[in-house]
Amino acid sequence: MWRFLGTRIAMGAFTIWITTILVTLLIHAVPGDPVQIMYAQSQGTTPEQIEEVRRSLGLDRSIPVQYLMYMERLLQGDLGATIRGGQPVLEVILQRLPNTLLLACAAMFIAILIGVPIGFLAAYREGTLTDIALMIIAIAGISMPHFWLGLMLLFFFALELGWLPVSGNGWLNLVLPALTLGLSNAAIFARLTRSSMIDVMSQDYVQTAFAKGLPKALVLRRHVLRAGLLPVVTMMGLQFAFMMGGAIVVENIFSWNGVGRMAVEAIFQRDYPLIQGFILTFSVVVVFVAIVIDALYAVLDPRIRRS
Amino acid sequence: MTFLHTNLRRMAGATALVAGFASSAAADDIIWARYGDIDSLDPHRATSTLSLQVWSLLYDTLLATDADGLPVPHFAKSWESNADGTEYTFSLQDGVMCHDGTPLDANDVKYTIDTAFSEDAPSLTKGSWGPITASEVLDPLTIKLTLETPFVALIPFLADSFSSIICDSNGEGFGTTTAIGSGPWKLVSWTKGDRIVLEKNPDYRNFGKLAENPGAPHEDGLIITVVPEPQARLAALTTGEVHIAEPPFDDVPMIKDEGELSIIVAENTGQNVFWEFAVHRPPFNDVRARLAVAHATDAATAISLIYGDLSVPENCPVSRGVFGNDQDFCAQYRPAYDPEKSKELLADLGYSMDNPLETALLVWTGGNRQKLGEVFQAQLAEVGIKASIEIMDIGSLNARVRQENENTEGTTGSMDMMTWSWYDPDILYALWHTPGAYRGYTSPELDALLDETRVLTDPDARKAKVQEVFKYLLENAIHVPLYTPGWEWVFAVRPEVEGFFVAPFVYPNFSDVKLGG
Repeated sequence: MWRFLGTRIAMGAFTIWITTILVTLLIHAVPGDPVQIMYAQSQGTTPEQIEEVRRSLGLDRSIPVQYLMYMERLLQGDLGATIRGGQPVLEVILQRLPNTLLLACAAMFIAILIGVPIGFLAAYREGTLTDIALMIIAIAGISMPHFWLGLMLLFFFALELGWLPVSGNGWLNLVLPALTLGLSNAAIFARLTRSSMIDVMSQDYVQTAFAKGLPKALVLRRHVLRAGLLPVVTMMGLQFAFMMGGAIVVENIFSWNGVGRMAVEAIFQRDYPLIQGFILTFSVVVVFVAIVIDALYAVLDPRIRRS
Repeated sequence: MTFLHTNLRRMAGATALVAGFASSAAADDIIWARYGDIDSLDPHRATSTLSLQVWSLLYDTLLATDADGLPVPHFAKSWESNADGTEYTFSLQDGVMCHDGTPLDANDVKYTIDTAFSEDAPSLTKGSWGPITASEVLDPLTIKLTLETPFVALIPFLADSFSSIICDSNGEGFGTTTAIGSGPWKLVSWTKGDRIVLEKNPDYRNFGKLAENPGAPHEDGLIITVVPEPQARLAALTTGEVHIAEPPFDDVPMIKDEGELSIIVAENTGQNVFWEFAVHRPPFNDVRARLAVAHATDAATAISLIYGDLSVPENCPVSRGVFGNDQDFCAQYRPAYDPEKSKELLADLGYSMDNPLETALLVWTGGNRQKLGEVFQAQLAEVGIKASIEIMDIGSLNARVRQENENTEGTTGSMDMMTWSWYDPDILYALWHTPGAYRGYTSPELDALLDETRVLTDPDARKAKVQEVFKYLLENAIHVPLYTPGWEWVFAVRPEVEGFFVAPFVYPNFSDVKLGG
């Protein structure tokens, strides 16, 4: 088990290192200069001064040199300072990361709470009208863009009913963005749970259990659920990364002060250190979740730890 | 989106019911929602309009801007300069206090200038202070600035929030957690990306800023929140969660029809939207091609289609409210809408409807500019100019325009709808003096004219020179003005808000605001 975890952590670290190289290459491949953009709306500044500011930020160096300077700082735990406003990147990210994680966790909770029982019910009633109706709802849920669903929920719960605030960062403010993100992911979980359960229910050992005359509830609980949930657990890891990504759109609609929204601004402003810091943090979170899921998977399925 | 609008229209009726319940702010706090946040509380560390607007609430400036956009006394009650414009002496108001209770005097002005010119971290707008070589405190209420060469744009600069006076008691954390100034509002807290909480400065004295109120703001607090999504801002206005916000453009006619919220349009913003061209290769290296575009463009019709009465056509290379702007003067030289003339020029160049002039048309994303670009595209097509629109964010646009200017090969043209803003015609120096902000058009003749606009201390003489620059830019179709304003200038305001207005150069003012019942 420890060797298994060690390998996973080493692979995770390698992934993160590759990410830092890719990000540095990609951000410089996008046209636009952060200093030019900084002066874009209210300028009156001479080209010489723009060059001076670029020099002071090290942007006049070649990309490999900029990368090495970045890695040197990074290894000392310094993510640099934002180009806009000159604040420490780590501080800016850490201030907002809990908000995004909170949103992603809340959404994940909603997705599982709704998705798994629906999928289970649909599998149980496979081929019936209930199954078809539930799966139509699930397909609708998957197809619904976050942007649209978010605005609809906002208009209904905040404007029409006045139950929840439109924007902000309090507990009440978490409800709508978490619902938006959670509902569309619930649909994914529902479909996955259904197909996985159907698969398990057709297995010989389940058929045998039924044939032995064991109560249906017992078979479902003891034999079907445990095996059927394995792919769902894997999916949780993947979906968590997707949710962090989906949070970008949802955070914008609900003015949720998370890292997703910050990243969008940073990209528009070409704030290189902030983009690098965001992607690094994002990849650390995703890799961490992947390792946790792998470990969980190993706990659930002994064959994996042995291999 | 139509469904959303219909939905919203219906829901607006329920506003009265919801407003009392959903409003979460203290009764005496004004809540202003914007699409983005400031970059820094330190006036030397940012350049965005969003930041400037907040500095204008926290800090004072030596001078202020009147309704016409001209500099008037504020913290400096008077000023004089020597004959050749290299020395300025300002005499300051007595008894003004910083937010921490220390007096605001000449030492703070010196501190601000010294910081702007510091070796380690000079101000991002150091260049706009001009060639200041020394600042000398003659006595606590008198300060003298010495310049290496005359720089007349210094005076309007001292009325703008870029030159905000920073109290010398600021120390650790300045710009992020603290911001001690002497403006009408004091900083309580800034949560980056979320909100800035301000409280009124009870000791505030207004000497020259545009507000009826001579002292402290009427309301106790001002909260500036970030709501990036336009529909969410409108929803928050409707529920009463916020009092003032920039509405979605497409909803402005509906808001006007509803009559619940009022629409306030900023005037004299200094924003100028114009055509510029890649001039170092065909076809736009030939003035006739540039003029053909200018004559084919009917800006008045296009903006009325897209913005209604929210924007107006602009004839001058610097917009209304900026020194030298004179619509009648510029109208004499700006190529007028004349499609026939345009066709003649194109025929001269060998183009026809079958052999159209081809060009890229670069447009900055947002603010319905892409729709405006499509109207212009149709107008250009009528005379035989085939423009393909490319929409991009401002960062890509800036990079691309420079790249197009540096590219001297090929025969496909490139033109762009550029947007710049400044409070003084010195902006034209940044744009068109060698080497040029985008490495675009420059000439020794234009350089000489622009050099003179920086040193002529007599306002009449300077105005004449500035207008010579206008004439040169317009006749040569280098900078073809289209309209003003261009961004962040429309505000929707809730009915209980009284006294809100937007001062020149898009500075919303809250000193006169009262929240009625």
